[in-house]
Amino acid sequence: MKLLEVIADGVADVRAHGARTALQTLGVVLGVASVVGTMGLTAGGRQQSLNYMAETGGVLKVMVYPKPAETVSTTARERASRGLTLDDVEAIRARIPGYDLVEPAVRRRALLRSPRASKSYSVTAAAPGYAELHELRVAHGRFLCDDDINTSAAVAVLGADRAHEFFGTDNPVGQTLRVGDNAFRVVGVLEHREFYWNRSETWNALGWMNELVLVPVTAIQARQMGAPSRRVDELGLRLASPKDHKEAVPALSRLLLARHGVEDFQVFDRQDRLQQMNEQGRIYDITFLVCGIVSLVVGGIVVANIMMASFRERVREVGVRKALGAKGWHIFVQFLLESVVVTGFGGLAGLLLGVGFVYAIAHLLDQAAVLTPAMVVAALACAATVGVVFGFFPAVKAARLDPVVALRTE
Amino acid sequence: MSQTPLIRLEGVWKTYDTGEVQVDALRGLDLTIASGDYVAIMGPSGSGKSTLMHILGCLDTPTRGSYLLDGEEVASLSSGRLAELRNQVIGFVFQTFNLLPRASVLRNVELPLLYGGVNRDERRARAREILDMVGLADRARHLPGQLSGGQRQRAAIARALVTQPRMLLADEPTGNLDQTTGAEVMDVFDALNGIGQTVIVVTHDAGVAAHARRVVRIVDGQVSEDRARAA
Repeated sequence: MKLLEVIADGVADVRAHGARTALQTLGVVLGVASVVGTMGLTAGGRQQSLNYMAETGGVLKVMVYPKPAETVSTTARERASRGLTLDDVEAIRARIPGYDLVEPAVRRRALLRSPRASKSYSVTAAAPGYAELHELRVAHGRFLCDDDINTSAAVAVLGADRAHEFFGTDNPVGQTLRVGDNAFRVVGVLEHREFYWNRSETWNALGWMNELVLVPVTAIQARQMGAPSRRVDELGLRLASPKDHKEAVPALSRLLLARHGVEDFQVFDRQDRLQQMNEQGRIYDITFLVCGIVSLVVGGIVVANIMMASFRERVREVGVRKALGAKGWHIFVQFLLESVVVTGFGGLAGLLLGVGFVYAIAHLLDQAAVLTPAMVVAALACAATVGVVFGFFPAVKAARLDPVVALRTE
Repeated sequence: MSQTPLIRLEGVWKTYDTGEVQVDALRGLDLTIASGDYVAIMGPSGSGKSTLMHILGCLDTPTRGSYLLDGEEVASLSSGRLAELRNQVIGFVFQTFNLLPRASVLRNVELPLLYGGVNRDERRARAREILDMVGLADRARHLPGQLSGGQRQRAAIARALVTQPRMLLADEPTGNLDQTTGAEVMDVFDALNGIGQTVIVVTHDAGVAAHARRVVRIVDGQVSEDRARAA
């Protein structure tokens, strides 16, 4: 007899036991739903982090900051260190390949004044590459240019919030902002940017961009604003390509360590962060997968249990089938198929439930719903495996029944 | 008759070993049944007639002795071959009908053909044909529970006949039926035997046995009486 025919017969048999099938399915449904749901949510969270990175210069960004003073114990040698300097920047540019952007930024606190407001804020002195590094977008006017640097021009680019605060308009290009004692001409305004990790979040992760006051790094030096020094408050770099990561990042740390003698700096490496995130995600995935598998096993036990419980009533049926010429394997296939079909249905229902769950949560948190084909395959494979594993014993037992004994069973 | 008998049992023993005691259900039983015969097997309970029926039906094999079914030695066959014999050579009719309750009458009748490897279209055609023969053509889509007792037994007979077996083996076929429907079922057997179908009926009902042409009485695992009835 053809296997397909036996399978069709088995499916018809499952259809004949609707209520029991639904009950058997429940455990598997919940198990698969929890596997899919949790996988989808962790993947969604990770996707959100990637979205943030993509909004702010991509995964190739490497940031270096001076280590905050209080965390550095003050040995003589460390006190002698001058922290990150423009000399470091030149050394990196000259000696470490693999970066296509090396952008220092200096921050000075200064009193800002316009006809409308007067307040002390941090001013960022940077170069044209700063915009590309952090993916700043200009809404009006232009960003700092090489000419500004070469001529130490007294020009400023404002974040959207600062533009509003000092000029009360979206487009104050051409107006004058006093920075300390000097008059700076506003040449550009940045786009207003927002990024919330989820819908209930009120903290704008891109808020710092809206609060920028950018001036050419040379303009500050030329006007001797603040303490005259070659110190740098922040150094941003961008890897030319992901494959440079392995060489270029350790080389950067080594160079700075060699130049400073102490580790008075911190390197924040997005590639590393991404790797950590993936590893962390994998831990979550495994944890939730184990939970899901536990519930699948429970579901499988329910399947086996109900199959064993209904076994008694079906012993006679097996006897009849054998009297009509069914061989052991016919019965085996019928029983095994029944549990696989039952758990398969459960897997499918669980998948739908899990997907619905992911979309519902994603909608509530305003997060990306991420579902990969791997999840679908994993869910169905888990369900089918449960069916085979837990259907096996009842199927073998049924196949081995002695027809005489089976027929005699009431 | 010169042809090979359909059934030849020689010195058949069946011993059940329960662990503590050994019970001999059949003790060196001899029996020969020719093709086309109509035999009633009678006997008190515990006589071994059920065991005999199981062995005749290839549901069980003798502990000792020889059982030639259509020239083939059954005692030494594998369970797979026994299943094939049950499927191809034997048609069972049970006291309690034993129709699968959740399958339609048509599916029930198709089932032996399914196990026999007959394709779907032919299966359906043959099942319908045989249902028509037993007068249940209009009940093909019904579930067994929707039929009367007599209809159920006729459906069961249709299922037994669908593979065109060499013999029909019925175990108390009227035991669950009232007298009238029981008589109707026996009429079906009579008619089948009339067109050459071998029929073996196991019963303790003398009225049922009266339909047969030959009555074999079993006592203590042996044939105690074997007589042909006057036609």
